[in-house]
Amino acid sequence: MLRVRGLTVGYGGEPVLEGIDLEVEAGKFAALLGPSGSGKTSVLRCVTGLMRPQSGRVELDVPPTEVGFLFQDDALLPWRTARQNVALGLRIRGAPRRAADEKADHWLALMGLEDFGGRFPRQLSGGQRKRVAIAQVLALEPKLLLMDEPFAALDAIVRTRVTQELLGWVEREHLSVLLVTHDLEEAISASDFVYVLSQGPRARIRARHEVHIARPRNVLESRRHPTFGPLLRRLWDDLSGEPASVDYAL
Amino acid sequence: MKRWLDRVAVRRSLALLALVIVWEALSRLGILNPFYVPAPSAVAKVLGALFADGQIWQHLDATFTAALAGLTAGLALGIALGFAAALTPLLAELLEPVMILLNAIPRVILAPLFVIWLGIELASKIALALVLVAVLVFFAVYSGIKEVDQRLVERVRTLGGGRRVLIREVYVPSVSAWVLGNLKVAVGFAFTGAVVGEFVASSRGLGYLLQFAQSTYNASLTIALIVLIMGFVLILFAAAERLERRLLRWRYA
Ligand SMILES: Nc1ncnc2c1ncn2[C@@H]1O[C@H](COP(=O)(O)OP(=O)(O)OP(=O)(O)O)[C@@H](O)[C@H]1O
Ligand SMILES: [Mg+2]
Repeated sequence: MLRVRGLTVGYGGEPVLEGIDLEVEAGKFAALLGPSGSGKTSVLRCVTGLMRPQSGRVELDVPPTEVGFLFQDDALLPWRTARQNVALGLRIRGAPRRAADEKADHWLALMGLEDFGGRFPRQLSGGQRKRVAIAQVLALEPKLLLMDEPFAALDAIVRTRVTQELLGWVEREHLSVLLVTHDLEEAISASDFVYVLSQGPRARIRARHEVHIARPRNVLESRRHPTFGPLLRRLWDDLSGEPASVDYAL
Repeated sequence: MKRWLDRVAVRRSLALLALVIVWEALSRLGILNPFYVPAPSAVAKVLGALFADGQIWQHLDATFTAALAGLTAGLALGIALGFAAALTPLLAELLEPVMILLNAIPRVILAPLFVIWLGIELASKIALALVLVAVLVFFAVYSGIKEVDQRLVERVRTLGGGRRVLIREVYVPSVSAWVLGNLKVAVGFAFTGAVVGEFVASSRGLGYLLQFAQSTYNASLTIALIVLIMGFVLILFAAAERLERRLLRWRYA
């Protein structure tokens, strides 16, 4: 579905990323972990074509219209209501207003925002805005979903619920996902394999781990899976460059 | 209790009223020389007389026509040039230095030139108001477009939006916000242009009356006219503010 080959990215000076290879097969859920500033967002920007790499290739099996990109920050159009923001992508794809609004309301409801469709972004909390942004992308029903730390602003309960909802959706629709996150546990409980980026500059893919937890998954149950603790520990080691001081093997 | 005192408008009005009362008292006590600083009551009398004999209307008409025509034309020209410059780099190269120069000088110094070019009638006043407003609006639009939130542009792009969608969903709304944010200043500029234009050379208008009052050392008439202009500009400010709040509902909601 998505293949990144030898990607090198820079902003003028020394490359931020160098020779990145990663692959997301159709219907698979991949997580990309890495220290802050290592270049995770830059990888996604190259995949969506917002940025040109210095070298390397990005290959997509679907047209760009089938790719949904959830940004790290939750900038919505401030002059449009939550509903209009969600409907925007659908309208761009030619949906009539009525149909687009109905679909927008449906997705807002799934995000627990059924009463907020008429509000402007500044009348929403950070977490609510984030959920509007999620609805905006999911409403397009993309085949490939790129997400940049989508859940960081959500409280634990909502976060678990939204993640579970998303996971169900991804499993039912066989979506392919590349999720960028800081959260090791989230990476394991949601994905089929986890890429770990080393500290930049010239960050590289340091490791690729498979997650052997059967689907369909429950976000909370996954954490009790026997492979969860050991994998968490290995990710911790990869990221910190030293053995875990905390014993995660529950 | 005293909730109405919390309102800014109420507090400001009270402060002004207090000032007027002190002023009146000082005048009555003979501390202020009425030749230079006539009492508020004397000013009020002159104001009343201006309206009573009906002479004032033609002057109000002249000033308002010049200011509003200049405002409208200045807005239109500023918006058009701002958009054109932001979208056409060549035009920006040509326009920017002129606009920066015009922005740097006190533009009212152009008044005598407009009188020479356009005569002492309405046209020269409209031109001055127009230039004052257009330069302001040009920069509001131009920088509104150039400093548009790139995150929003990227967002709309990744949702599949092309140039047309970007202009409609991102550029026009963010430029409207900039222009409306400057609307009050523009109204003030339009009146400055009209009145100063009349002040320099004219046969009608509030600026003409002011010039007349000054040349006859008539302090009461001068102050009365200043108060009158203030009053009208405040009314227009209130209207501009209402318009802004209405159109920028997303910002004030
Ligand atoms: N527009 C830019 N100009 C110059 N340097 C940039 C720019 N954007 C990012 N960088 C640099 O590139 C590096 C990678 O940035 P990127 O945003 O991809 O990191 P990230 O892994 O997403 O970090 P985080 O986890 O904090 O979001 C950082 O060191 C950053 O300072
Ligand atoms: Mg990032």
